[in-house]
Amino acid sequence: MRKQRFVFWSLAPAFAILAILAAVSIAGALYFSVMDRSLRYADYSFVGLYNYQRLLGDRRFLNALRISAIWELVTVCGALIVSILLATFIFERVKSAATRNLICLAFIAPVLLPRVAAAFIWRFLYSPSLGLINYLLGLAGIGPVEFLADPSLALLAVAAVDIWQWGLFFTVIVLKLLETLPKDPIEAALLDKAKTWEVHAYVTLPMLRAPIISLALVKAVESLRSFDLIFVMTGGGPGTATETLDLYAYQAGINLGGRISYASAMSILLLLITTIAFTIVWRGIRKWAN
Amino acid sequence: MGKLIGRFLSGAVLALLIFIALMPILWTILGSFKTLKDIVTPVPVLFFKPTLANFATILSNPSIRDGLYNSVVVVGASVLLGALLGIPAAYTMARHVDRLKSDMQFFVLSLRFMPPVAIAIPFIVIYLDLGLYDRPIGLIIVYLVSTISTIIWLSVPAFERVPKEIEEAAAMEGCGPAEIFWKFALPIAAPSLFGAVVFTFVLVWNELLLALTLSAENTTLPVVAASITSLGKEVPWGVINASTVILVIPPLVFIGLLMSFINRMVATSKR
Repeated sequence: MRKQRFVFWSLAPAFAILAILAAVSIAGALYFSVMDRSLRYADYSFVGLYNYQRLLGDRRFLNALRISAIWELVTVCGALIVSILLATFIFERVKSAATRNLICLAFIAPVLLPRVAAAFIWRFLYSPSLGLINYLLGLAGIGPVEFLADPSLALLAVAAVDIWQWGLFFTVIVLKLLETLPKDPIEAALLDKAKTWEVHAYVTLPMLRAPIISLALVKAVESLRSFDLIFVMTGGGPGTATETLDLYAYQAGINLGGRISYASAMSILLLLITTIAFTIVWRGIRKWAN
Repeated sequence: MGKLIGRFLSGAVLALLIFIALMPILWTILGSFKTLKDIVTPVPVLFFKPTLANFATILSNPSIRDGLYNSVVVVGASVLLGALLGIPAAYTMARHVDRLKSDMQFFVLSLRFMPPVAIAIPFIVIYLDLGLYDRPIGLIIVYLVSTISTIIWLSVPAFERVPKEIEEAAAMEGCGPAEIFWKFALPIAAPSLFGAVVFTFVLVWNELLLALTLSAENTTLPVVAASITSLGKEVPWGVINASTVILVIPPLVFIGLLMSFINRMVATSKR
């Protein structure tokens, strides 16, 4: 009996709070999404699916959807490619444990920075008139490049900062994973005169398939939280070139007259899309990883 | 000879990588000690007369001081409450829940899928109606979603690593489940739990969107820092650098601790 009481009282408060807060925000968003509530007026009434209908014809929303998809793709693939390449490189070229630790410490620093701080740091570096990057480009005879003001470059420039934070962090993790692998298959492959890159492409990385896939999933979830970085670096601009869904929902719900209901409909759609996408991906990955 | 060149090349690549990782941070720290005249030069300056004026501006600015104070209160309270509620829950999930464990873990993880705007927008209206808008307590409540779920998620494996034999022996001696948790499991798992709490702290300390939407005057440091950009027409780069440095210090203090936490997590995730 004592055990049952302990089980109940240790679980109940934490899960009750989580469930209530999650239910309140989802129910609240659902409720407001079928109203016409805005922060400007106190009264509101039921409008049915009007907000959703309007969203589907809203070109700015469709643009945000597209930008979000590109953002996910670029940041997830970028972080994975960078981390796998760098980790195998360090694994092969750096044998001393102390040097490896030092590199790991350096690589972990960027991800710990608040997104706001990282955004400021890179806005400063990207600046066309006083930024270090443009100075270096100038020495090479290029530039000045308007990284954050050029619609075709801005999204990639912000994504580079994201990859700077997460790609280097994942490098550390992939390196640690490589270190935990048994040595025998690698030595066997080397005895068969496999080249170094062949050992990694056909032996070590396939062995790490499951953890690398979970890393991809973690990154995909974290990439959804692009708001802080983009908000500080470009504010969604130039124009709407870097406006992701959460940025547009924020603009619509808070900045542009507080159209709470419209923004709620948007966040419900966002929630639906991510839930469906992640469930499909999660299932597919599980099948493939086994 | 070829080997020597190869070693030299890989050394150069490594140096470049470390440069890319750290240079932006170091450059900002350097910039925080520069006068605006030293920053706004066509040729970047490495050597200059350092000034503390930027930090003086920052620390004498009441909105930054308030932001720092609010950040400490909001983040401190939400992490503390998260640990208080999350750690016992994680222990019970690790030891006393069998059938529902993976479902519960998935529920906790799925809270992380929730877009922050989907939390922020309904809560604005609710908080305006309840009078919790722009109050630290409102932010603390919303942050509990992140802190409790992250602490549970990271603490379950920490408790699973505690050798079962110790707890079984204690149970034989007649210890109740609460006593076993408090006297045996908690002290043994403590280092990993501390890592989980610090990780959660960094996560919440860095949060911008919820603070930006749910508070206006009584807001946290990231929001205050994000708003400095538009001080008049001239961009106060020195001041921005200084406030970035202040924002960055708390997470970076814990870098060594988080490193060993990651080592432990990777070592067990393999199995």
